[in-house]
Amino acid sequence: MAENFHNLMMGISVSMQPYNFMIAMIGLVLGVIVGVLPGLGGANGVAILIPLTVAMQPVSGIILLASIYWGALYGGSITSILFNIPGEPWSVATTFDGYPMAKKGHAGKALVLSFFSHFVGAVLGVIMLSFFAPVIANFALRFGPAEIFSVMVLTFSAFVGLSGKDPLKTCVAIFLGFILSAVGMDIVTGQLRLTFGSIDLMGGFNFIVAVIGLFGLGEIFLTVEEGLKLDSTEGGKVTFKDMAWGVKELLIEWKALLLGCVIGCWMGLKPGGATPASFMAYGFAKQGHRKSEEFGFGASAGIIAPEAAAHGAGTSAALPMITLGIPGSPTMAVIMGGLMIFGLLPGPMLFVEHPDFVWGFIGSCWIGNFIGLLVVLAFAPLFAAILKVRFAIIMPIIIYVCAIGAYAVNNRVIDIYYMIGFGVVGYLFKKLDYPLAPLVLALVLGDMAESALRQALLISGGSPIVLIKPPIALPIMIAGLVIFFWPTISGIIKKRRLKVGPG
Amino acid sequence: MRKANLGVAIFLFVLGAIVMYDAVRLGFRWDPGFGPGAGYLPFYLSLGVLICTAIFIVKQVIQLSKIGIVGDKPLIQEGGLKPILWVLLPSTAMVILISIIGLHFAAFVFLLFYMRVVGKIGWLECALVSILMPIGLYVVFDRLFLIPLPDGMLGNYIKLPF
Repeated sequence: MAENFHNLMMGISVSMQPYNFMIAMIGLVLGVIVGVLPGLGGANGVAILIPLTVAMQPVSGIILLASIYWGALYGGSITSILFNIPGEPWSVATTFDGYPMAKKGHAGKALVLSFFSHFVGAVLGVIMLSFFAPVIANFALRFGPAEIFSVMVLTFSAFVGLSGKDPLKTCVAIFLGFILSAVGMDIVTGQLRLTFGSIDLMGGFNFIVAVIGLFGLGEIFLTVEEGLKLDSTEGGKVTFKDMAWGVKELLIEWKALLLGCVIGCWMGLKPGGATPASFMAYGFAKQGHRKSEEFGFGASAGIIAPEAAAHGAGTSAALPMITLGIPGSPTMAVIMGGLMIFGLLPGPMLFVEHPDFVWGFIGSCWIGNFIGLLVVLAFAPLFAAILKVRFAIIMPIIIYVCAIGAYAVNNRVIDIYYMIGFGVVGYLFKKLDYPLAPLVLALVLGDMAESALRQALLISGGSPIVLIKPPIALPIMIAGLVIFFWPTISGIIKKRRLKVGPG
Repeated sequence: MRKANLGVAIFLFVLGAIVMYDAVRLGFRWDPGFGPGAGYLPFYLSLGVLICTAIFIVKQVIQLSKIGIVGDKPLIQEGGLKPILWVLLPSTAMVILISIIGLHFAAFVFLLFYMRVVGKIGWLECALVSILMPIGLYVVFDRLFLIPLPDGMLGNYIKLPF
């Protein structure tokens, strides 16, 4: 414990170095802008800027990327509350109560509540990251290929069993992600797979390009289809009186706050990401609240719970990413892609080989989230003003920047075509309710999962029993199976109870 | 949306079949001297896609034959297709232009076209944004961070003077 604390202090001092501090500030401001703009989300905001970080030190690079994420998490709520336009998918739940509250003339109060809840969620996530990450990483050092593969099975089972989406569609999305990652040269045999003689396909699909298309262009298509309606409310300035009120309100609604934080951290670890976390927290907070009829008309708890959950999920998503190499949210997946470009392989060895890097990152999570709070509290109206610029100006610029981001990953023009293709796919999948997060995650983890599986099978000489070898792989696999069939299992349990109950 | 659901599922089924074909070609079986072949994982992945989409297609067809498509919401809401195409086609055109005149000039054309023709924004604003934006991004990416962006085939003839 003491050693961790010492390491954490070292990390914070790394992130407080003037250059890194400046990078964090730039990242936060960019992040809030990304968060405010609909059609430009955290995942593709980070993806576009990855090329810029290649020239930096790895620590500075990840500080920039993570700061964009923190900024986007804060920023999404600003426009949700002031204009009823969610700047990010994870701030959709905020519009339910944030906008009504702002409409009553309490825009400042709604913003304060949202930012404070974000901060509390972030702090809890970062505490977990600081004190559990070393423990988990230490444990994961004992993992062999079979264990790594079982963790991946658990991860994807969580998407199928716990996301509440159609399990068939989720499975298809996962398989498609893995198939896309298999295109190109096979890393073990060197054979060309799924290229069908095309030279362009030999390079495979880069997941950053996929993210920019699926989340960036897909989102733009959805936005233009619905048309952007600006329901502006007055105000948005935050006063000290609002802040005092916000603190008091948080203490009154501590249950909603706690609920949001816990759901958020769970969804970040599991992985699920910030968006489902915010919806889940809103639903649970409404169910259990004594004044649930106030929800939808500006209830404080209706802002607190989803906001705390979104940011809690965002920060705790870093925990599985940095310890196991399995990102907890799509944006974390992109950040992990950035790490791989720096030549760092996320996973337990990272703590051993590059402690300065890991702790610098964790330290910057503390600093970044704290400064982010100050930035949005002070400048919320300024960022909101960005949305006054007409969408017909912003939108083509976003596409232009997306094209740069897609090209710069591998310096290939074909990637920009892929980006547009992925945009159409993203639009269709969003409309038809195919989940995108597991697809992206499968695309990121594809090579790792495949080499883990093949190594495990090679070690065992082809016997699949190795994948359920005790003591580590077996319980993880069983947990994965239980989670996979959770909807069925919970249905059976409920039926049993009903039978026993009234009888 | 049920028709679109069915259509996408059929498309994915075909995709799965293509992947399986290639996986079989690569060899998905266990090679005693070598280990799993290159098509090992793709084979099972495509099998998964085929099974999932097949179940889904059957379910959809049963549903369609029972309740039909009456009262179904369309995939694209009314009046939604036009704005989508107004984004999709110009941006595709931009990508084609990129390989001819380079990224920044293609973006200039794209910005100007979209803002002026689709957005109906005043000439002055259009000109300012579509000239300053590419110059700004050129300075940041090509000059400051030394990330060369594509010049296109005519890159030697059409380029920024600095």
